[in-house]
Amino acid sequence: MTLKISINHNTFILHCTGAMYWAEKKMLLISDVHLGKVSHFRKHGSALPDRAKFKNFAKLDAVTQFFKPESICFLGDLFHSKVNNEWELFSDWALQVKIPLVLVAGNHDIIAPMHYEALGISVCSESITGGFLLTHHPEEREGLFNLSGHIHPGVRLEGFGRQFLKLPCFFYTPQQMILPAFGEFTGMYLLEPAEHTVIYAITKEDVVKVEVKEQQ
Amino acid sequence: MNREQLFDIAHTWFETQGWKPFPFQTQTWTAFLQGKNGLLNAPTGSGKTYALWMPVVLDYIKKNPDYKTKHKPGLKAIWITPLRALSVEIKQAAERVANDLETGLTVGIRTGDTTASERSRQKNKMPDLLVTTPESMQLLLASKDYAKIFKQCSAIIIDEWHELLGTKRGVQTELSLSRLKTIAPKMRIWGISATIGNLQQAMEVLLGPESQALENSVMVRAHINKKINVISVIPEKMDAYPWRGHMGLHLVDEVAEIIKKSRTTLIFTNVRSACEIWFQALLNKYPEFAGDMAMHHGSINRETRQWVEQAIRDEQLKAVVCTSSLDLGVDFAPVETVIQIGGPKGVARFLQRAGRSGHRPGQESNIYFLATHAIELVEASALRKAVKDTVVEDRVPYLNSWDVLTQYLVSLAVSDGFYPDDIYKEVKSTFCYQAITEEEWRFCLNFITLGAQSLQAYDEFKRVEIEDDGKFKVNSRVVAMRHRMQMGTIVSDAVLRVKFVGGGYLGTVEEWFISKLEPGDTFIFSGRKLELYRVKNMEVLVRLAKPGAKAKHASWMGGRLTLSAQMSELLREELYAANTPKMSRELKALAPIFNRQRKESIVPDENQFLIETFKTREGYHAIFYPFEGRYVHEALASLMAFRISLLSPITFSLAYNDYGFELLSDKQIDMQQVLDNDLFTPMHLHSDLQRSLNATEMARRKFRDIAVIAGLVFTGYPGKVVKTKHLQSSSQLIFEVFREYEPDNLLFRQAYRETFEHQLEEGRLTLALERIQQQEIIWKQCEKPTPFSFPIITDRLRERLSSETLAERIKRMTANYMK
Repeated sequence: MTLKISINHNTFILHCTGAMYWAEKKMLLISDVHLGKVSHFRKHGSALPDRAKFKNFAKLDAVTQFFKPESICFLGDLFHSKVNNEWELFSDWALQVKIPLVLVAGNHDIIAPMHYEALGISVCSESITGGFLLTHHPEEREGLFNLSGHIHPGVRLEGFGRQFLKLPCFFYTPQQMILPAFGEFTGMYLLEPAEHTVIYAITKEDVVKVEVKEQQ
Repeated sequence: MNREQLFDIAHTWFETQGWKPFPFQTQTWTAFLQGKNGLLNAPTGSGKTYALWMPVVLDYIKKNPDYKTKHKPGLKAIWITPLRALSVEIKQAAERVANDLETGLTVGIRTGDTTASERSRQKNKMPDLLVTTPESMQLLLASKDYAKIFKQCSAIIIDEWHELLGTKRGVQTELSLSRLKTIAPKMRIWGISATIGNLQQAMEVLLGPESQALENSVMVRAHINKKINVISVIPEKMDAYPWRGHMGLHLVDEVAEIIKKSRTTLIFTNVRSACEIWFQALLNKYPEFAGDMAMHHGSINRETRQWVEQAIRDEQLKAVVCTSSLDLGVDFAPVETVIQIGGPKGVARFLQRAGRSGHRPGQESNIYFLATHAIELVEASALRKAVKDTVVEDRVPYLNSWDVLTQYLVSLAVSDGFYPDDIYKEVKSTFCYQAITEEEWRFCLNFITLGAQSLQAYDEFKRVEIEDDGKFKVNSRVVAMRHRMQMGTIVSDAVLRVKFVGGGYLGTVEEWFISKLEPGDTFIFSGRKLELYRVKNMEVLVRLAKPGAKAKHASWMGGRLTLSAQMSELLREELYAANTPKMSRELKALAPIFNRQRKESIVPDENQFLIETFKTREGYHAIFYPFEGRYVHEALASLMAFRISLLSPITFSLAYNDYGFELLSDKQIDMQQVLDNDLFTPMHLHSDLQRSLNATEMARRKFRDIAVIAGLVFTGYPGKVVKTKHLQSSSQLIFEVFREYEPDNLLFRQAYRETFEHQLEEGRLTLALERIQQQEIIWKQCEKPTPFSFPIITDRLRERLSSETLAERIKRMTANYMK
């Protein structure tokens, strides 16, 4: 279900939901939840199953129970669009977790920060801590290791017997780690690895390190 | 005026054209004037247009004896055509009659191409005769006060009904007709259909089962017997024939010879990309054809297509490379010869194409068949037999298409609103929904009003509202606008318009093709080499590329056809003949290939079922040869892979063509175990198919159309810039959401039903398995690929099936990069 890795002498635990736990900081990192997407579609006449909107909260509860973090940092695109009925569900959830919540705002986060602040959630455009730069969009900055989201990274695997698989993944390059989208009902974007890329594919139950190979 | 006088008018007009009416034409006139409904069975280009326009005009004359001096306004007849491209010709034919007889009747077109201003002009003053498409017809039902428009209308004619019958546009037409029967009770309903296997059913679907309309109806058949010669193009040296290669370009010289010998030649390809490639290949090798040769396919812009069609008629062209886009449409008299490249996969389609040539009375139709790979030659002699015995396929109508029904209901809610009890009766009277239950009906109503949920306090779903008196109505202008724009999108993929940077529209390509290109890349489209400049707002901006640049050919999805049941039976018979002394010219030509096949394996006879296994650097191959057509093989491959995967954890990659299917794996299959366990049994077929992951994959693809039609995704509208990014989602994601949270949703289940009925063809599958049970299984362990296996194992479009966990599989796989 999890896989422990080390980045710049810090320990991170990758979870099969796409969440990542920073052991030294006791902080849970979660990217691209896209809450409110189902309700947004329904509001515009697309009859998606209403029940689907509860899944994200169930997943959030499950990872919080699992790691028991002291804080949670959302790496952007927490909400898909404007405030809708899922905001109520989110408020209830945010008030009962009783740990500090931080949102590094992303392109979809158009809800005014005051709404978040009313729930005790602090909103920022980036955060620098212990040599790590936390952003929504992947970024390269001298002397800092970047943790980000936005891309919804996925990987295409090949094997003997003409086998293919496409899976969401954690995408690691020497200065950067891009988290997969945590939210249900979000897509993925296939990324091509390069020489020093490390890929951790996620399935429903596992996190698996992928062998990266040069094409012959 | 009595009928005799009216017929005099018609006969006189025919005489002035230098024609004589065919019996089927006068029969149709009589039945129409008697107030009957009907189905006219007549091939394209036989004069069917005048068989029905004429009585429409005569009927007007009959009702208005002072027709030459006093024009009576209002819509009198509707002509529905499946292809926008045909509307101009139909209009011209109607105008010819209307003007020559000095009736003063006006003819108008209303399709997706009609401008907004023209449409609103029509709204105020409808033309007397309207030519339109099924989508635009339903859009009329989505406009305010639509009932008034049709009050005086006396006839609706559905052209090329065989093309619509087996499609959802056919269902859309059924629904429109069910409404028109109520609001215009005097309207006659007429269909025109080419010959198909189930003509009687076609009429029943059109008029409604057990309906009054059906009772008061006739079927008129045009008996036009024409001799069709099927000639295979066989090269002198057979060893030059590729085992695979789906274009047949090695025969370009032979094709050029045929073109040179004939006045006008139509060259039919099965897919648009083949059309582009052949056009280029002919031009490259025979530059002298430039100017005498043109290309015609569905994605080329309308003006160019119309120009090509006119040029064929005017005998300005020596050859036209085309796709099914020229299957339909009015007569092209100068066409002497037709060449079919690649297997046409169905007899009806082949006959239709053959019929495009030799239109002059007494002329024979010549159709050359060009096999793109060796084995396909067998299809040629099978086709000849089919033509001789006039074997034709059925078009299977859709049943219970909830997506089309919900779309229709929203249309009615957008216009004047509707009361469910009235509409329920009409819907139930159609062929498609004859078995609808009250519960299913309630689901559809719930779907458009509550988003398929029971009412919940939190929910903000908004589409159709129920007013106090029980009327279902759309009151939001945004919802109405989005619905109108979305309608008519019974197309599959997002298409982008291709334009020159400096202006000038070339046609459309599918989004997935363009998404593979970078700005600066070169591709061939519409016969031109183009450089991609950029993609913006659903438009692909291009400029002419340098002549030397290396280019990709534009390609389109969904071009893969399957052999019909009839064709595959003929094909098997023909192939079995390869073991007998009675061989056709094509089989004789194939002798070197058969010899090669026999070296490693066998050419099966009717009592044998062949399985070949061998290993290559790609993995362990197992090839099965049922010769049942692509769709059946797709299902069989999935079924066998699933059953084998139950024996031990294994992962397969599946490929199939019209002759057989392949299971490829990184492990060896224990074939003896497959045989010992009787894995070909027809028992538990349905549940096994459902459990095999592949059925889900196929349903996922079917769901794409369903999601668009039912308004679950908003695709925007080709050529229009709409900011809908926040509402875009792939239908695949939506499919997953349904799978997890609402698996009993009727639209979700429809995807599976369509998969089983229309894609997997469960009925055919059972028959195939029963047949295989009677055969002796011959398992050949080969050293290397055989000629029969070659086209299958080189196929790149593959499905996958696995009984291993993802984590296990990932461990044996790699993510690759290029240095």
